[in-house]
Amino acid sequence: MLKGFTRRFPPLDVLSEEQVHSLHRAILDVLRNTGVRFESERALDDLEQIGCSIDREAKRARFPEYLVEEAVRRTPSSHRVRARDLQNDIVLGGDTVYFRNFPGMQTVDLDTWEPRDPTMQEFNDLITVFDALPNLHAISPYPYYGFDGVPPVMRLLEGIAIEIKNTTKVLIQGNTAEADQFHIEMTKVVGGESILAVYGSAPLTWYDDQLRAVYRALDTDWPMYLLQGTTMGATGPATLAGTVAVNYAELFSILVLIQFNKPGTRVHIASDTYPQNMRSGAPGFGRITGALVKAVENQMSRHYGIPRRDSNPGPLNSKKADFQAGYERGMNALTSALTGSNLISMHSAIYGEITAHPVQAILDDDIAGMIGRFLNGVIVNDDTLALELINEVGPIPGNFLNTAHTREWWHREQFIPKAADELTYPEWFNSGKKDCLEYAREKMQGILANHQVSKPLTGSQEEEIGRILKEARDHYRRQEQISDKEWEAYSTVLRQPDYPFI
Amino acid sequence: MEESIQKMREAIVNYNEVEASEYARQAIEQGIPPIDILGAMTEAIREVGDKFGKGELWLPDLVGAGSAMQAAMPIVEAAIVESGGSRESQGVIVIGTVFGDIHNIGKDMVATLLTAGGFEVHDLGINIPADQFVEAVTKYNADILAMSALLTTTSAEQRRVIKALEDRGIRPKVRVIVGGGAITSGFAQDIGADGYDPTAPGAVKLAKRLIAN
Repeated sequence: MLKGFTRRFPPLDVLSEEQVHSLHRAILDVLRNTGVRFESERALDDLEQIGCSIDREAKRARFPEYLVEEAVRRTPSSHRVRARDLQNDIVLGGDTVYFRNFPGMQTVDLDTWEPRDPTMQEFNDLITVFDALPNLHAISPYPYYGFDGVPPVMRLLEGIAIEIKNTTKVLIQGNTAEADQFHIEMTKVVGGESILAVYGSAPLTWYDDQLRAVYRALDTDWPMYLLQGTTMGATGPATLAGTVAVNYAELFSILVLIQFNKPGTRVHIASDTYPQNMRSGAPGFGRITGALVKAVENQMSRHYGIPRRDSNPGPLNSKKADFQAGYERGMNALTSALTGSNLISMHSAIYGEITAHPVQAILDDDIAGMIGRFLNGVIVNDDTLALELINEVGPIPGNFLNTAHTREWWHREQFIPKAADELTYPEWFNSGKKDCLEYAREKMQGILANHQVSKPLTGSQEEEIGRILKEARDHYRRQEQISDKEWEAYSTVLRQPDYPFI
Repeated sequence: MEESIQKMREAIVNYNEVEASEYARQAIEQGIPPIDILGAMTEAIREVGDKFGKGELWLPDLVGAGSAMQAAMPIVEAAIVESGGSRESQGVIVIGTVFGDIHNIGKDMVATLLTAGGFEVHDLGINIPADQFVEAVTKYNADILAMSALLTTTSAEQRRVIKALEDRGIRPKVRVIVGGGAITSGFAQDIGADGYDPTAPGAVKLAKRLIAN
């Protein structure tokens, strides 16, 4: 049986039908009149051939309505993604809801809350915890941005190798420095597939490196993840409606290219949209405006029948796993699930995209579990109405504790958080006044001591991944993207006795 | 104060590029020394910068006032050169977003705050090739070169610019500061920059520190 959750009641709508229609017209208007910049001759040629109007000098494509509507029609409204272990496959779309981690470039010290590069062991540990958590279903391109000693250009690939080794869950992969040409081969070594991410640049631009990645992804027949990100009031309008119009125009422009090149390509879409913090210029993470804009986009995606991922609960403003982190994550994740997101990014991230920690992921897994239970809704039948039992027990002194019905049903109806403090006061005093953070730390130690990945790699698979990594290192050294100084530090990492891919 | 100067100041604090330029030109025609006009402009932008610092104004106000001032600047600078004078400032800074990167928000914010901080700022714009940075550093005899890169893919371009400064033999004459979403202090050190700060107000303090040393 597949893991994940299904929302068993209608989603929460924040737009009226008329508003959905107005937004749809606005999206088509942006695509038809403003157009989108494609920094690739190949893409412009392809778009021209199918009927877009192309301004070569401005590298801008303008889209007739019928192309956009046809691309939406050609997009599967739900699709299965294969994991290395079949029991971890996911089906994105419709009423399904899954959770994935949100990236953090670095780890964070749980006592000082200061960020630093993780070690290779800490990278391993994060992935092991991800693999063990029951309510985390997919893993992002950058759980951490690689680990200490690895040059920037190899960080994605070294990280992916560890992910492939330490988890059998669905992997989502990026393409920094065109690394996809190598990690696609690495994934093929172990079977399965990964979701290949491509990134637009707001406003309304697709750069050549991303378009090359789109074409490479199309060659694989693997599912794709189309992401763009707008900062409201900076790279997009300050208004919610205008932002959604520009976001969907950007996403649909690439959807046209994809669905006319390979009809039926499995995609899910997302926009990492946040209001701008008008003080610092950074995105305003954790704000409720972000949740509202995602609610609008979730509804629009349901209208179009395109699976959707939401990242708003991921990046927090808080630098600690504290009260602020809890409300920013909890409120944003719940609204995301209720309004129809299929894949919610949140586990492990703390501040922005800067920090992440496995202990935070353990806390987040409880949030995911709580939301999952809520989505599962209410069963109303003879068994659950329990009229016979109510009649049997009657008024006080009757009670329901010592009944077969309670023994059968209580755990099916309740979700029990794994790391929450649920003690009574006397218990709490007697056990050292522990809080959820301490429970999560203990739980992490337990996972790291006991968890085993369901399908360990064979020796020859590890060797083959090692060979592909070496090919990548040689490639980037030839391109002078790894300096001598970086290589020196990197060589030390590769000589560590526990480095697995030699 | 002359009415034209007052109106130019008002235009700057009200983000009006057209009127800021118009009243700057009018002030020059009225024979007001261009150095005094520049002084009034700097005062206006400092007022905006101070209010931003106190939380009374926000980023869109800061950047709007900055571009109104930048619109009037070439007119006043030309008049200063014509009159045989020169600007007095905390130091000369050339700023821009590197080649391949067309992001300007962070760079504009830093440029405005540097101007408000009393620096002579030459904003080259976005998507600036290494050679253009090098030429501007030489042309303006810059004390500091400030480069922005938002994308991980373009951050390496900052290394290329520093190398170009070295190749022309002018690296020792100019301090290089870097910033942008993709930059970390480790990266800044690695490419041989003299300074990095993640925030725009921090960049101004950094520039002042570098000039003082």
